[in-house]
Amino acid sequence: MALWNARRVDAAIEASGLTKAYGATVAVNRLDLRVQRGQVFGFLGPNGAGKSTTIRMLLGLHRPSAGSARVLGLDSVRESVAIHARCGYLPGDLELYPRMTGRSVLDWFAAARDGVDSALRDALVERFDVTLDRRIRELSKGNRQKIGLVIAFMHRPDLVVLDEPTTGLDPLMQQEFHHLLAETTAEGRTVFLSSHELDEVQRVADRVAIIKRGQLVVTDTVEALRRKAPQTIELRFRAPVPATVFDGLDDVAHITVDGDRVTMQVTGELAPLLRVIADHNPVELVTRRADLDELFLSYYRDSPNSDAT
Amino acid sequence: MRLSVARLDLGNRRRLTMGYAVGMALYALAIVALYPTFKHSSELNKLASGKLGALFGVTGPLTSPAGWLDANAFTNFLPLIMLLLTIGYGASAIAGQDDDNTLGPIVVLPLSRRRILAEKIVALMAQALALTLAVAACTYVGRAFELTLDPWNVATALLAVLVLGIDLGLIALTVGAATGSRGTAIGVTATLAAASYLISSLAPVVSWIHPLRFASLFYWAVGDNQLASGTTITAFAILTAVAAIATLTATVAFQRLDVR
Repeated sequence: MALWNARRVDAAIEASGLTKAYGATVAVNRLDLRVQRGQVFGFLGPNGAGKSTTIRMLLGLHRPSAGSARVLGLDSVRESVAIHARCGYLPGDLELYPRMTGRSVLDWFAAARDGVDSALRDALVERFDVTLDRRIRELSKGNRQKIGLVIAFMHRPDLVVLDEPTTGLDPLMQQEFHHLLAETTAEGRTVFLSSHELDEVQRVADRVAIIKRGQLVVTDTVEALRRKAPQTIELRFRAPVPATVFDGLDDVAHITVDGDRVTMQVTGELAPLLRVIADHNPVELVTRRADLDELFLSYYRDSPNSDAT
Repeated sequence: MRLSVARLDLGNRRRLTMGYAVGMALYALAIVALYPTFKHSSELNKLASGKLGALFGVTGPLTSPAGWLDANAFTNFLPLIMLLLTIGYGASAIAGQDDDNTLGPIVVLPLSRRRILAEKIVALMAQALALTLAVAACTYVGRAFELTLDPWNVATALLAVLVLGIDLGLIALTVGAATGSRGTAIGVTATLAAASYLISSLAPVVSWIHPLRFASLFYWAVGDNQLASGTTITAFAILTAVAAIATLTATVAFQRLDVR
């Protein structure tokens, strides 16, 4: 029992069989998810995969059709107010009040939420160079997004849930945002980052989950995924070799033979391949680690669950 | 209680509310000021008698103080403006703001949905009250224009219009919270209001509609000669009961609403 409780305390988010259906359409299907505290957790998936619906269920905005979720140890439906007190949220389709100024919007959110440290808010405003004195309707998408980031972080939440947070931000602000994420997790707080920007997620996330058509297709650390990513190997032999030489090697795929040159993709250990090629007088061997983007895209395209919704 | 949500909505709608209040007040002032010109016009009484007058909510002599105010404001234009204000806000407060993606950031604040809804009802009441007070001020000016009415009857009639507006605003709020659609909320409530108005105004002259008048909120608020005879306790009880039922239903619907 004590072990079970300790495990729960460690988890910022735990979802079990989380499902959301709108009539016959199943947006999220039996999703099991566990996010450790103190991490940046990347939640990836193509448009319409169910990322925003999952976030809305975690925050109590949507009621699950089945399953349950605990956020910071609290039930997402029954204890949503207590969750909201400890969470920051930046929605993917952030809209603010067009006639209000940036300052009045921030003042309102600070007043509506107890415990906002005005020094921290001012520091965030300065850090993101937020435009305060113009009306929201006069601001660019990026400038509105910066106000959204300040709203999400200004009460020093234990968990920050960000849905496509860098939309519209320029590269300098994106870098500043990444620093903020690192500082947040260094303080033991958690960031749940939903995105379809693969490059961003692999740079900032400790752990990644990929959702496709409402189902999780993989959850792992970025390092483990990187290890799983196939290597491209280019070989040159003293004389041409037939492709059949590589038959029986389980981790080798996509073999292309062009005279004395052979290209292939290898997942896992190289030792079995090296033993085979050693008998055929190789003269050159080049390995190239596949980009993580390619691995993610392969999950998007042809995961085993691709038809199960 | 800081009423942050109520203050936010009232702030964002202050120009609209002021526009309705000032416009309606000027209209009421004009009607009041014109009374001496028409108070001896027997043609008006003939014109407004019978079914034609009933269509405009007129049930008594048009040139009496009560008939004049009823025909020109209390049974038609005042409730219409009141309902434009309250149904408009009721439909936008939950469903409209959800359509605009501005409700989500409020629902993720550490405020219960019950509290958010309560504050939105406070905002609804405040807007309806602003309009009522503006009209009340201009109506009482009428004493200077020979429009002498029992002040108690005027006050209770205005209160009844206020509660009528709140009732239909709450119904729009409820439909919006149940469906998440601003269009549906406005459509359903406006249809209900139009049917209620027709029943109340035609009941005195169309025999088969006459028994249905008790089902009309307009009848209880403005359709029973309230300016001349006063508003009954029963009328207030019914109007208040509708508000209570709509509030309870809206609370349940908003708890279940999937907010974007």
